[in-house]
Amino acid sequence: MISRVTQGSFVRDLLRGLGRLEKRIADAQGDLSSGKHVREPSDDPSGVERASRLRVESRELAALRESFSFATSVLGLQDATLDQAEGLLSRAQEIAAQHASGLSTTDARQQVAIEVADIERALLTLANTSFDGRYVFAGLTSGPTPPFLQLDDPGFDPLDPYSGPSQSFALRAATDETMRLTTPGDLVFGPAIAAIDELRATLAAGGVPASSFEALDQATDVLTAERASIGARARRVEEGVVDVQSTLLRAAERIAAIEEAEVTEVVTELTRLQAALQATLESGRVLQSSILDHIRF
Amino acid sequence: MAILDLLSIGRSSLLAHQRALTTTGNNVANVNTPGFSRQRTVLDSVAAGNGSGVRVAGVEQIVDELLEGRALLQATSLGEAEARRELLDVAEGNLPIGTASIGSALSELFAAASALSTHPAEIGVRSDFLARAETVAARIRSAAGGIASLQREADERAAGAVPEVNRLLDRVAALNATIARAQALGENANELRDQRRGALDELARVIGVRTVAREDGSVDVLARSGIALVTGTNAARLEARPGSATGVDGRSLHEIGMVAPDGSLIPLGDDPGGELGAHLALRDGTLATLSADLDLLATTLRDEVNAVQTDPAGRDLDGVVGTALFAGTGALDLEVALTDPRGIAAAQSSSTGDNANALALVALQKTSVAALDGATFNDYFGSLQARIGGLAREAEEQVTVERTLADAVAAQRENVSGVSLEEEFTDLIRFERGFQAAAQLIAVADRLLDELLVLRR
Repeated sequence: MISRVTQGSFVRDLLRGLGRLEKRIADAQGDLSSGKHVREPSDDPSGVERASRLRVESRELAALRESFSFATSVLGLQDATLDQAEGLLSRAQEIAAQHASGLSTTDARQQVAIEVADIERALLTLANTSFDGRYVFAGLTSGPTPPFLQLDDPGFDPLDPYSGPSQSFALRAATDETMRLTTPGDLVFGPAIAAIDELRATLAAGGVPASSFEALDQATDVLTAERASIGARARRVEEGVVDVQSTLLRAAERIAAIEEAEVTEVVTELTRLQAALQATLESGRVLQSSILDHIRF
Repeated sequence: MAILDLLSIGRSSLLAHQRALTTTGNNVANVNTPGFSRQRTVLDSVAAGNGSGVRVAGVEQIVDELLEGRALLQATSLGEAEARRELLDVAEGNLPIGTASIGSALSELFAAASALSTHPAEIGVRSDFLARAETVAARIRSAAGGIASLQREADERAAGAVPEVNRLLDRVAALNATIARAQALGENANELRDQRRGALDELARVIGVRTVAREDGSVDVLARSGIALVTGTNAARLEARPGSATGVDGRSLHEIGMVAPDGSLIPLGDDPGGELGAHLALRDGTLATLSADLDLLATTLRDEVNAVQTDPAGRDLDGVVGTALFAGTGALDLEVALTDPRGIAAAQSSSTGDNANALALVALQKTSVAALDGATFNDYFGSLQARIGGLAREAEEQVTVERTLADAVAAQRENVSGVSLEEEFTDLIRFERGFQAAAQLIAVADRLLDELLVLRR
């Protein structure tokens, strides 16, 4: 209980009040100028920890988004390539059907064998398709030697034309799981190359390709199944991208809620503090009133 | 003779009021003097016969000794809280938030590992991974270096306070001697007591002390541990010597204590209090722990990443087992040892499309590490940052509390001992009137004596 008010206590109380107000004004101005309510760990220790965790999650998801972007490109290229391969097989099936009945002449069969050889070369070229220098049907490996030997290469074996890795390329599909992005090329193109090569060899020898149609049909089924698998993986990637985008957005909102200053609130608070500061300064004028004004010596 | 008595009474009153006016004038003159305690002239009637006037019994200071004791304790608490807040402010600055943080650098490292898992053979991606690893190492080194410097600063501040403590102890002892001598001679020692209180206030901010008053007017000063720092006119001597303990930077830390007669150091106790106590507590406690935590983060990151990188199944771009990525013995010297991006063991075979080891590196981000009490690297750093932030915030709040308490004590002190101009000028009028009345008494006595002399003629 203060019973005596002295000049010293007047001045101390006034300065203390002004000091507190000025500190709060400085804090509010800091919030406004930086746009941040949390500028150092002590501003909100638990909030900083939460924001830090959200940032880690965001950065991880952003990295995942980059992986998904790459996956979308690779899967799209694989699908387009297999679409072309299906077209080649379709043409080969037409040729096989035309010459399977034995109505065509030997010369005609030998002539069409040249077109089938071109189809085989085109198919082998498709099997060596690369994206950014990486073979999309060979575990995304890179290097000067393609995974499939060409028809005219020495040592070409239509039953074993593939020299790439037998493993698939695994891509991050979530923060803690991976997804197969590629299928080894021999599993995709092996039956098709063997079937076309058999057709070509039969026709070139002037023979009737009686069994080729079925082999080509089975090879087409393999390509179709792989396209379906690619489609499923592409859908998973698309869903992943949507999930990542929405999670990133939510994380950004939560980080903002923790760290960013609410401008309207801060401006209102600043106005209130400035009014309080003016009132306090005004009250200081009371100090100018003294007993000396009222007595005469 | 009654008329002469009246003259004598008037004279005593004149002198007494003159002294009272002097005391009031002195109070007014010192209205803005820091540490000044108002004084009051104690008037006493002279008891002889029917009364023989007034005398000045003394000039006393209006001081509440219990309040002075509380003020000393509060000065210690405030000094301690402010010193703690100041250094913890700097400490948390070494662990910034946002993109400049260690946590952000760790996230970027694992994002680069993710890119490496997508493009395991790309030299650009590999170089980026190495650059991110270098950023992590540099940020951890920088934070640890900042903490080490801060610990050294705390040590130097503690040692630097010793001469100041010694100066203040000498001052209190010297004032004790002067006050005891003045008191023995019956002289006024009020201003000297104010000066001693000022010296004790300064001392209490630096180190926790309590005082014990002596009969002769001197005070003994005791440290928190009970050792006597001032005994009457004798002041102890503190000393800061290089001790056996070493700081985070490997250099010797100071040992601070009172010099014993045999030259050895008597420790000041576990908690000497004040700024000195805060600096020692931060040096040996908070900052040492923080430094150890950063060391743990650095060595665990080094070991976990190196374990993947040097896994016998791992292969670099040239198909050989990888070598250690991180090197160093702790946070202060953590560095990236691998310089060739081809040396990153991203694969587990010689295939350029193999990313098995890169995926193992990515997985480290989510791995609960036993050495970190089951936390991930980012969570461990996040909790470290939150802890130092919490300590800094707590220190800030403590300063507010201690300052409020100190203000309350100061207000009470001002309430008791402060000079009020209203009071003093009222007293001035009162004593002036008394002085004028005494003068009238003498005038009346003079006239009466004149009358008597006329009667004799």
